[in-house]
Amino acid sequence: MDIGDDQVVFELNRRQRRLRVSGDETLLATLRETFGLTSVRGTCGIGICGTCTVMVDGKVVSSCLMLTRQAAGRAVITAEGLVEQGRLDEVQEAFVDCGAYQCSFCIPAMTLTVRACLDERPDATVEDVREYLAGNLCRCGTYPQILDAAARLVRQEPDADDGASVRRVGPDTDGGDSGLDVAAG
Amino acid sequence: MTYVGQALPMPDAVQRVVGTVPFVLDRHVPGMVHGKAVRSTQPHARLRGVDVERARRAPGVLAVVTGQDLVAADGIDPFFGVQRPDQPALAIDKVRYAGEPVAVVVAETMAQATAAAELVAVDYEPLDHVVDPVEAMQPGAPVIHDAWPDNECGTYALHRGDVAQGFAEADRIYEATYISPPASHVPMEPFVCVATWLHDGRLELWTATQAPHFVRPELARMFGLAPRDVRVRTANLGGGYGAKGHVKIEPMVACVAKVVGRPVRMALARDEVFLTVAKHGAHVRVKTGVTSDGTITARELELVYNAGAYAITSPAGAGQGLTRAPGPYRIPNISVTSTCRYTNTVPACPFRGAMTSQVCFAYEAQLDEIAMDLGIDGVEIRRRNLLRDGDTYATGEVMHDLHYDELLDAAAAAVDWDRPLAPAPEGMSRGRGLALMIKSTLTPSRSEARVELHADGSVTLFHSSIEMGQGADGTMMQLLADALGVPPDAIDLPFPDTDTTPFDTTTSSSRATSSMGAATHDAAANLKQELARLAAKHWETTPDRVGVDDGRVTFEGDALSYAELLTAVDIDHVTATGVFQSEGGMKGLDPLNVQGKVSVHWHQGAAAVEVLVDRDTGHVHIPHCHGAAYAGRVVNPLRVKQQNEGGAIFGLGPTLFEELVYSGGQLTNPNLSDYMIPSIVDVPERLSSTAVEGDDPHAEMHGVGEMCLPAVAPAVASAIARATGVQLRRVPMTAERVLRALEGVDDEQDR
Repeated sequence: MDIGDDQVVFELNRRQRRLRVSGDETLLATLRETFGLTSVRGTCGIGICGTCTVMVDGKVVSSCLMLTRQAAGRAVITAEGLVEQGRLDEVQEAFVDCGAYQCSFCIPAMTLTVRACLDERPDATVEDVREYLAGNLCRCGTYPQILDAAARLVRQEPDADDGASVRRVGPDTDGGDSGLDVAAG
Repeated sequence: MTYVGQALPMPDAVQRVVGTVPFVLDRHVPGMVHGKAVRSTQPHARLRGVDVERARRAPGVLAVVTGQDLVAADGIDPFFGVQRPDQPALAIDKVRYAGEPVAVVVAETMAQATAAAELVAVDYEPLDHVVDPVEAMQPGAPVIHDAWPDNECGTYALHRGDVAQGFAEADRIYEATYISPPASHVPMEPFVCVATWLHDGRLELWTATQAPHFVRPELARMFGLAPRDVRVRTANLGGGYGAKGHVKIEPMVACVAKVVGRPVRMALARDEVFLTVAKHGAHVRVKTGVTSDGTITARELELVYNAGAYAITSPAGAGQGLTRAPGPYRIPNISVTSTCRYTNTVPACPFRGAMTSQVCFAYEAQLDEIAMDLGIDGVEIRRRNLLRDGDTYATGEVMHDLHYDELLDAAAAAVDWDRPLAPAPEGMSRGRGLALMIKSTLTPSRSEARVELHADGSVTLFHSSIEMGQGADGTMMQLLADALGVPPDAIDLPFPDTDTTPFDTTTSSSRATSSMGAATHDAAANLKQELARLAAKHWETTPDRVGVDDGRVTFEGDALSYAELLTAVDIDHVTATGVFQSEGGMKGLDPLNVQGKVSVHWHQGAAAVEVLVDRDTGHVHIPHCHGAAYAGRVVNPLRVKQQNEGGAIFGLGPTLFEELVYSGGQLTNPNLSDYMIPSIVDVPERLSSTAVEGDDPHAEMHGVGEMCLPAVAPAVASAIARATGVQLRRVPMTAERVLRALEGVDDEQDR
């Protein structure tokens, strides 16, 4: 709710927050600079790359395109907020287990988009998750492991022979392919 | 327990996913203010004046700093460049590309600085400009740097055998030019740097860099400081891909901080990231003579790279391109020339697969054109010409540890090369293609590691290889865990900081696993010697009678853990260092006939693809892509897979749609709406990879950061050619270009 000229009250990661904010401040700036939530990262500035994704009332939005005043009275969740009482969300666990991270700049935002997909579509398929993630860019190319995590979450385990093979060539081995459990660790 | 070879998670996996892993972007320094660059609107112009008065009076503004302020300041050499110091921290007297920083507005907030930057008025006297490197070579072309009147920015050549004789022996000769435009690295984390001048006169930088040990001496030189008086601190890097190597925005930020007298932070907006560095565009002319069975008798290559407006790494890069251009083939008669030329475009620097993708596209696409013309299978023509152990490469080196047969087999098998293709849907054509690549690594180079074992049994590994998603830290952790016999979670790896972590040349050229890995092994071995000495003292014996293994010291049936030993001898911690130093390289060789050991080892990679071409739209769909790389020894199979397959995905961008487009000297697409990078929907339905390991269980480890990328473009080009009969000699192979080619329009002349 908007309570006066420059004060805004909203819920952030399940806590009520009240702050004074100028009308032109983006939610991205507020989350990073005022609340120190570093999982929210600006990079394209035009709502294309998805690294500043947050959830507002359960829907994913680009926080670089939303003014903080527009969050008044609403519930905002960042990737930090997916962790409840020290426990990772199942999406975060699946990302960790599948190695779905490289430089990791884009990854927290990805987890929110996947969470939103699963919440909105309880019977989501990997294809649904892929479609949701079309607006979250990763330059390292971690997409295969993100899809592995999606498969785990929608209970379609990744195809076992779709992974990399490590081939040792030499007299001390059989020289054959060995399958790699990409979800190891 | 052996950790090498296991797909362990990165040590900070949870923080990476939750979003709490630190980036320089998160770094705040007390008293910090913000800088916003005012950028040139002209591609090439004399600077008649910069009017900063209105901006200076704007709310929150502390100062507006121009190039002239740097010239007037005491103790600043405003020019930088590790290979050729031709780049001013802020433009002085002249601008050389549209987007070059002319001034920096410093304000209390970023919003204030950004608003005031609009108020700076720059008076330009426009000069003729040139954006094409071949045009920049012509007599009468605009001169971009007075010191380099023909826009020369690195020139090399090599010659072996007798090319004229080789062409005379050929049954057929093929000649064509292959063009790669400039592209952009697009690390998701922008360039960001915070510079603080400390009260004791030292300079402290937090910067998103791949190369803290390039930044430190170069900044020290600019400010007349000893290198130790510059401290470069880093955090997890949000992607580099070459963009953040060498020295980039640090000189600008440090100069502005010195003039203003406050800590200054600059975090670039996305358009500014596009305007800071780019991939070298290139024109590559290849002439190849073959006998009728496809055996190469001679090859001549002429490489012209677009250096952009400033040198950065181009003076040496031209030489790197040179030695990577022949391809992994036995070519008895070869001649290569390579040059980088200044143009009025964004300065170029290494781009994942540096200087290699451009030449690999040329030599591999042409080899397939030859194969198709002669009716020889694409795998077969490569097998007939492959470079194998004991062969002499174009550089005169006798090659060893070559694995192209295995890579070729793996790539071909992955796409069912010998089986008939499935029929294509209505209106589509299906084809397959594959390609190989060869790439040198940075030589010579040096890596140092320092290991500290603490009395509680924990271990700290200090090293300066930058963790940028490739897994440098986890790789060193796994290597060290095995070498010392300690669990990986006992090992801490602080972020590189030139005050505390030892020297590493740079994190680039796919060298960290091999070079820092070797330094880490060396440090571990030295630590174990020191432990043996301490244990010998404890047991009153000699070190040679003490065993050091599995995290314990042993002597005649007695055993102590490392922690127990340190407690027993009352020592808080033990330190040991390790070094890797490679020899050789281009320095000292004749640049106009490069013959010698130019690389400590050679990177080897391959890619194979299946494509579906929509004949109505020209759209190229890639249902299957396979990457193969020689890894020597795999430390972490998941990291290797991510490098190989992530690299292949990265490679699809410049292959199919990434291109920096200039019009009137202006970059027209410096944003992620007009310049698209691969998204999750661009990932091939089947994406796979092979890491080939060496014959020996102790085979030398090779980095794999770039191995699968360069071969993607020629593999796609040859798959399109096999599917449709049209040959594209220019990337990206956009739907529009493919359609024009299908319609018989000559795309080479369209720009």
